[in-house]
Amino acid sequence: MSEKAKILVVEDEEILLAALEEELNQGGYETQGAADGSEGLEKIKSFKPDLVLLDLVMPKMDGMQVLKKMKEDSETKNVPVVILTNLSDYERISEALSLGAKDYLVKANYSLADLLDKVKTVLSRNQSGETK
Amino acid sequence: MSFNLVNLLLLLGIFTAVVVTVFLFEFRKVQVNLLKREKEMNQRMYQLSILRELGERIGYSLKIDQIVEIIAGSLRRLLDYSTVSYILVTPKPDGTRKIEYNINLEKPVNKKFIDDNKKVMLKSLNILLGKDFQVDDLEETISGTITDPTSIESVGSFFNVPIVIGDSPVGLLNISSNQKNRYKKEEVEILYTIMNQASDAVTKLQHVLNVEKGKLNSMVASMADGVLMIDNQKQLSVINTAAKLMLGFSGENVTIFEVLDALATTFDLRNKLQDSMREDRLVISPAVTLNNHFFQILISPVKDKDKNFLGSVVLFHDITKEKEVEKMREDFTNMMVHELRSPLTGIKGIASLLESDRVKQDEKKFSEFVNLIVTNTKDMLGLVNDLLDVAKLESGKFQLIKKATPIRSVIDTRIGSFKALADEGSLELVSHVDEKVPENLEFDEHKISQVLNNFLSNSIKFTNAGGKITICAFLLPRGIDLARTVVEQKLVWPGIKQGISFQDNYLVVAVTDTGEGIPADKIDKLFNKFVQLENTAKSGKKGTGLGLVVSKGVVEAHNGVIGVFSEAGEGTTFYFTLPININK
Repeated sequence: MSEKAKILVVEDEEILLAALEEELNQGGYETQGAADGSEGLEKIKSFKPDLVLLDLVMPKMDGMQVLKKMKEDSETKNVPVVILTNLSDYERISEALSLGAKDYLVKANYSLADLLDKVKTVLSRNQSGETK
Repeated sequence: MSFNLVNLLLLLGIFTAVVVTVFLFEFRKVQVNLLKREKEMNQRMYQLSILRELGERIGYSLKIDQIVEIIAGSLRRLLDYSTVSYILVTPKPDGTRKIEYNINLEKPVNKKFIDDNKKVMLKSLNILLGKDFQVDDLEETISGTITDPTSIESVGSFFNVPIVIGDSPVGLLNISSNQKNRYKKEEVEILYTIMNQASDAVTKLQHVLNVEKGKLNSMVASMADGVLMIDNQKQLSVINTAAKLMLGFSGENVTIFEVLDALATTFDLRNKLQDSMREDRLVISPAVTLNNHFFQILISPVKDKDKNFLGSVVLFHDITKEKEVEKMREDFTNMMVHELRSPLTGIKGIASLLESDRVKQDEKKFSEFVNLIVTNTKDMLGLVNDLLDVAKLESGKFQLIKKATPIRSVIDTRIGSFKALADEGSLELVSHVDEKVPENLEFDEHKISQVLNNFLSNSIKFTNAGGKITICAFLLPRGIDLARTVVEQKLVWPGIKQGISFQDNYLVVAVTDTGEGIPADKIDKLFNKFVQLENTAKSGKKGTGLGLVVSKGVVEAHNGVIGVFSEAGEGTTFYFTLPININK
């Protein structure tokens, strides 16, 4: 466990994806990015991330579908997911949480510290075997 | 002489006596006649006064039992009798009949008198209606003086008058006396006349009401809103076609229970009816879902002029369209927020990362990040400009600066500015301007260039490498088919439809590509503001999607028409027209 934790960022907004990846890199994580849901699902299998940052509103396959598909597959169902969302999405946030997402990050006003803190907490909880 | 005088006097005396006798006789005859006339007049006047009084007391009532009651109560001044009684037959909602027997005792009579009265009336009624009603079927009411068990009077004479409404007999009025041969023909006739007049009045009133009701019914029937009327017995008295459709009924007769059942899972009609009744107010339920439609349901109590509760009216107003527009608007706001906020968040993140040492030292990453900021701010600015244009179009503040402009050079300039982008995508970009196109036309050069930019950037975006994009311009004379003209111009517009022509002479400008085409169901929505942003977000292709909405506004402000033809896998043509006969 000494090597860098791997994080997959699934986000269709190119510039936001670049920012998130760079921020996570600077925080000491290894990252890969996916620009839509189906690319995200492929990379979950090939990259085998320790955590997925998942946007909800995306072309081709949205975040909710990705989450459902991840939970149906025994290979991916235990990978922790943090939802990327906008403030207006309360209904969808609770839906995503009920589908098994661990936490959520509001895109409009997150800070670098929020991001790294959230990722760290979810990762450590997951390693200690807690389910919630 | 004296004989003659005596004789003369005698003759005169006899003559006088004869004259006087004749006179007296004649006078008597006249007097008898006059008295008879006077009596007739009196009777007639009396009859009239009773009729008038009845008329006033009955008013506009349609309740035959009230009318008969009033008549029965007024007869005592006209006739001498022991009892006045009537039987009325009224149909009940469940299909059976109610048979009322009402007797008013003017003089004390015994039980047998009443029983005999009942029997003779039933016999006549059964003949009149062709029925076989029995004494047990009667609902009896006795009023007036008390019955007198000691009385030995029996029915001496009587007569019946039928009660007729419209053409159908509905009952019988009976006058009975303990004296024999009490009633003369004239008296019977008077009552007949009164009864006829009353029945005539009711019949006429019912006819007028039926006509009015018919008008009202056809109005209710043709209403787009569903209408139910529930009477004070909680029975469904009216349901129009629209309401049947909304509730999913196909048959003629619908009961209140079926209505309650149909609404059971979505709407508690019973309770709402009670609320409306109890609180005496209009109850509005804002949005009830029924068979995939949204309804506003309004319940209102109905009262007559004396504030008596008559029932409730329930109105089903379909608000599905409004709901859709509302949802579109909400989606639009959400998408707009998403379209602006996501890149802005990214820009903020990237911009702050530019300061970090890791990025500063990585020259490639640094310029990549700066580039991202530039393209993203440019896209956002484009979106904001489009939104402003749409807002101006919608508020009618969109202004054109028209001046004589050569369309050829406008097209050439556009080709020049899109050449690089077309080359980048390995696309051939050509123009075809017919020689008959006039040199100068009145239009807003900047705005029309914007429309062409939009057409061209769409074409380039949706056409794969190796494809071809053609800008063309030609004249379309009044009434000439567009499809025919396109062929004459040796152009190919995939998916073009026959039968499009205009009432004026137009210049047609179009951009045709050999791209993937637009599905038929999407074509209608291309120029819809609300749908555009959503599609852009889902397609993953960059661009605000509002360009076509703005283009439509620009073309229409020029009194032109904008349109599109497309065929899957073959290509798409966006065209617009500009009128060329306007001398401004």
